[in-house]
Amino acid sequence: MKRSLGPILTAIFGAALVGLLAFGLSTQGTSRALDEALAAGREPLAPNTTQPLPVLDGLHARTAALTHWRGGVVVVNFWASWCNTCDAEAPLLERSQRMLVAHHAGTVVGITYKDISSNALSKIKASGLSYPNLRDVDGSYASGYGTAQLPETFVLNGQLHVVAISRGEITSVRWLMRAIGRAERT
Amino acid sequence: MRRITLRCIGAVVAAAVVAIAPAPASAAARQRTSMSAILPQVMCVTCGIPLQAAVSPQADAERDYIQRLIDRGDSAAQVKRALVAQYGSAVLALPPASGFNLAVYIVPIVVAALLLLVVAILLGRWRGNLRRAVGGGSDAVTALSTSDAARLDADLARYDPPRRPRGAR
Repeated sequence: MKRSLGPILTAIFGAALVGLLAFGLSTQGTSRALDEALAAGREPLAPNTTQPLPVLDGLHARTAALTHWRGGVVVVNFWASWCNTCDAEAPLLERSQRMLVAHHAGTVVGITYKDISSNALSKIKASGLSYPNLRDVDGSYASGYGTAQLPETFVLNGQLHVVAISRGEITSVRWLMRAIGRAERT
Repeated sequence: MRRITLRCIGAVVAAAVVAIAPAPASAAARQRTSMSAILPQVMCVTCGIPLQAAVSPQADAERDYIQRLIDRGDSAAQVKRALVAQYGSAVLALPPASGFNLAVYIVPIVVAALLLLVVAILLGRWRGNLRRAVGGGSDAVTALSTSDAARLDADLARYDPPRRPRGAR
């Protein structure tokens, strides 16, 4: 009995270490649940919609959640000032914002990902972006969307359900317009 | 009178020296940090590796930001506080001891303690075996039966070299 205690304890300790490792890896992985739901023909509720994020306005005082824009189309764009491809798609997103505002149809919401606020503000000013921007300080908000690389864009309908996802730079105006049209209809 | 005058002059000179002497560097200036001191303490937040080893646009932006803070005269603690405000606590190479991060501090201690325990147990067993082998040797011999003892003597006698008489060649 005494002899078997050592191997049992060693096995328990080894299993605990493996479990810890598995937990650490599972929490760091990127989720593709939204993509899978869309592929299955469903329109999943966007994650973290009630979670307030700091508004990127240089004042560091206000916060806003995506529910603030509920009722209209919301084009959520994760970006950063250090991301070159984000710069490339910014003019397209700005044109979309003007169109959405002109038709009272919704808004584009930029969310900076692991970015320095002053750098992001400079980029907004330089690119002449008129849409609101929030800050995801540590990337935990974006991880709910399975975002680990930039840029990524999620088109939400008025009930904040995801109707289209672009993982990578939006290169096609048609894709974005079709996604917005679909969001307006649902 | 002369002594008093000399003392007065001495006091005035001492006061002048104190006044003229350059002011000590401010505490902030003394605490001012450097890039080489900060880099090992922070991570590239998108790559998940130490910033000093990271090559990416985000890492470049992070290094530029640190350089701006250093140029401003910030101390290491101030730089780290500013980085945490921008990126969250994941930017620190040594994460705060809370939540899942506690494992970083607890697991090595537990593993080290268990290893020490295992070594202590094994050492104890080894010493016990050694003691038994040394102390129990005579018992083993006495435990031999008469026939075994006779066989052992016969075997040993076979391996003993034959003795030659003195002077024999």
